Amino acid sequence: MKYSILFGWATFIYFASFVFYLFRTIVGKDIWGRLATIAAWIGLAVQTAALLLRWKASYDLGIGHVPLSNLYESMVFFAWAIVFLYLLLEWRNAQKTIGTFVMPVAFLAMAYASIAPGMNAQIQPLIPALQSNWLTTHVVSCFLGYAGFTIAFGCGLIFFVKKIGGDKTSATEEATGGWTKHLPSFDNLDRLIYQSTALGFVLLTLGIMTGSIWAHYAWGSYWSWDPKETWSLITWLIYAIMLHARFVRGWRGQRMALMTIIGFASVLFTYLGVNYLPGLHSYLNG
Amino acid sequence: MSSQKYSFRSFFSSVRLTIALLILIALMSVAGTFIPQQESAHEFMSRLTPQVADLLVWLQVFDIFHSYLFRVLMGLLSLNILVCSFNRIAVTRKLINAPAFPLPQGLLEKMEPDRIILADISQSDARLKLEAFLKKRFGKIRTEEKAGTAYFFGERHRFSYLGVYLVHLSILVIILGALVGSFFGFEGYLNLDEGQSAQTVELRGGKGSKPLGFAVRCDRFLVEFYENGAPKTYRSDLSFIQDGRIAKQGAILVNHPMSFEKIRFYQASYGLSSQSRALLSYTRNGVKEKNIAVSPGAVFELAQSKDTAMVLRVEEDMMGMGPAVKLSIASPRGNVQFWVFEKLEEIKKMNPQLLEQMPLFNPGIFEPYVFNLNGMEEKYRTGIQVVSDPGLPIVITGGFLLLAGLLIVFWLSNRRFWIILDQVKGKTRIRIAGKSNGKQWATEREIDLLLFNIRKEIK
Ligand code: HEM
Repeated sequence: MKYSILFGWATFIYFASFVFYLFRTIVGKDIWGRLATIAAWIGLAVQTAALLLRWKASYDLGIGHVPLSNLYESMVFFAWAIVFLYLLLEWRNAQKTIGTFVMPVAFLAMAYASIAPGMNAQIQPLIPALQSNWLTTHVVSCFLGYAGFTIAFGCGLIFFVKKIGGDKTSATEEATGGWTKHLPSFDNLDRLIYQSTALGFVLLTLGIMTGSIWAHYAWGSYWSWDPKETWSLITWLIYAIMLHARFVRGWRGQRMALMTIIGFASVLFTYLGVNYLPGLHSYLNG
Repeated sequence: MSSQKYSFRSFFSSVRLTIALLILIALMSVAGTFIPQQESAHEFMSRLTPQVADLLVWLQVFDIFHSYLFRVLMGLLSLNILVCSFNRIAVTRKLINAPAFPLPQGLLEKMEPDRIILADISQSDARLKLEAFLKKRFGKIRTEEKAGTAYFFGERHRFSYLGVYLVHLSILVIILGALVGSFFGFEGYLNLDEGQSAQTVELRGGKGSKPLGFAVRCDRFLVEFYENGAPKTYRSDLSFIQDGRIAKQGAILVNHPMSFEKIRFYQASYGLSSQSRALLSYTRNGVKEKNIAVSPGAVFELAQSKDTAMVLRVEEDMMGMGPAVKLSIASPRGNVQFWVFEKLEEIKKMNPQLLEQMPLFNPGIFEPYVFNLNGMEEKYRTGIQVVSDPGLPIVITGGFLLLAGLLIVFWLSNRRFWIILDQVKGKTRIRIAGKSNGKQWATEREIDLLLFNIRKEIK
């Protein structure tokens, strides 16, 4: 089957999974949670197959490369990383309702990749600067890191949704009434925010390091303060601030939830916003 | 205490300062991406009044990442990290050397019943088996015997307390490496035509030139394109010449640099060499006159007149519209400049009004002559980035330390376990308690695993 059809299917299945998670959150019946998880796994399998097929297709065209080389491919991989990491976390933590706030991000990334104007879904040959194995490790670690921050962001949103829903339970209590009662307790959210942020931080660190190594080989300078590099550092600093505030100043709950949202905004700016900033990479004006 | 509170040391040991510094560094970085920096600032500056531009230059607004303020912030952060790390040494030492015995208060009292094993074997038998098992599990264990009760102690990852130091010191190492690079290294570039050699490089940022101590020659330059016109590979064959003989030869490609005498050469860019020639022809009143091959700077006299034409530029791809040549013709009628495109007919098809809108693009504007560009005799020059960075190994070391430190901080914790063996009501009793710095849930899981294995062991 053609990979683009499979990507369409994966998008659709992610949406279905989101709807099931939503039912699980509102109705509270376990069956919806199980359906949602199954759908997410199927969607992930379909998308993985599509990625592999696209990879193979690029070789058939004689310009073979890992499908991680332009905006379209990275966006699709972002969705894949979010679902993959989320399912791992769900499997370890048995929290089903967080998917309600994470799956839509994956779905939106897939949808955006397929309909956004100016998105080039064609397999393109690699320009020389991108012909490096460091590109693969760099993109994979960055986007897995972004996925970790996305999950933390989802948990941060739940935190505020619970507050808005009038949830007045103490940190460890499970709510018994109100429409937010099936969401995780504040304490669990706090732990998940910490875990996914820490994971994201390590992966982003790895991503920045591999990116520097690649830059070092490609244009002889491991750091040249171009907007993308600088924004990845800004994002990294925001999460470093967040971790210190937690560890040393004892921030918990609402403040951490707010930080996940600020951090995620910075992630999005690092990924998409920098394209609108002035400045070129130094190797272009040599 | 209150006088101490504002002392130098306590100021620099506060994490409040850390957070403030990190926020300031982040904000300056944001500014550095929104305000054009260095070369890209020239255009922006030309739109300001000279006074404002001078003030902003003085404030180093256009070179934020190399400004004094930015360096001061980095210095303060380094000092902050140093003082913090020093201050914590005593605490960390105490944590690492915490005695195994006596047991921490309250550990036994809180013991849950499912953490207790009662067995029908003799205490001495159980002891042998237990000791062997624990040794295998923890490597080194400590034991104590008191009033018929045996205490065993084993722990994991005692040195994980040092992870935080690794993280923080690695930041210092990276900053140090960057400093070494900026003081003792250089970054320059070379543009070489095929066959050309150079012994000095131009430094970046207009900081003059630097002799290499040897010569580099470009023997050959190759570029290949994909069908869509994008470059596929480009590569330069270089020779390094020292004391009049070739000391090293090889090819550089993008992502595959080469080094000689600790200086690294990167394939950075390429362009048309000034030796490239454009194949021009022109007609006069529709009568074909001449074919000439010209390179930039060439001057030629037009047939049937005393007017002279000068070649200002030869472009391989002018604004995406293909090869073009810019001519300037001086005549008693005045001076005209215009572009001659090779693919004029195609461009006109896309924009039929072109010549009316852009007289500059009209190759027939200097009547009665009409110029034609018939193609290019292309010669490339290669653009080579030349770098020496003695700080690099330091930065790389810092990077790995950082990663190792983070892995330790987030995934390892010191877990301490006590196993107590005694006798109650004619049965042998084994109790297990555990404690950790953080990640208590992981400790609980490990205790369950220990229970399971010990049960199996002494059956
Ligand atoms: C860019 C610079 C820095 C980075 C990337 C960084 C990173 C970290 C990380 C990852 C942790 C561990 C957090 C956790 O366990 O979840 C940490 C903890 C800590 N950091 Fe930093 N840090 C930086 C600068 C500083 C500075 C300048 C200080 C000096 C005051 C500092 C003081 C501390 C302290 C006291 C802890 C808590 C350690 C503990 O309780 O175990 N950090 N830092």
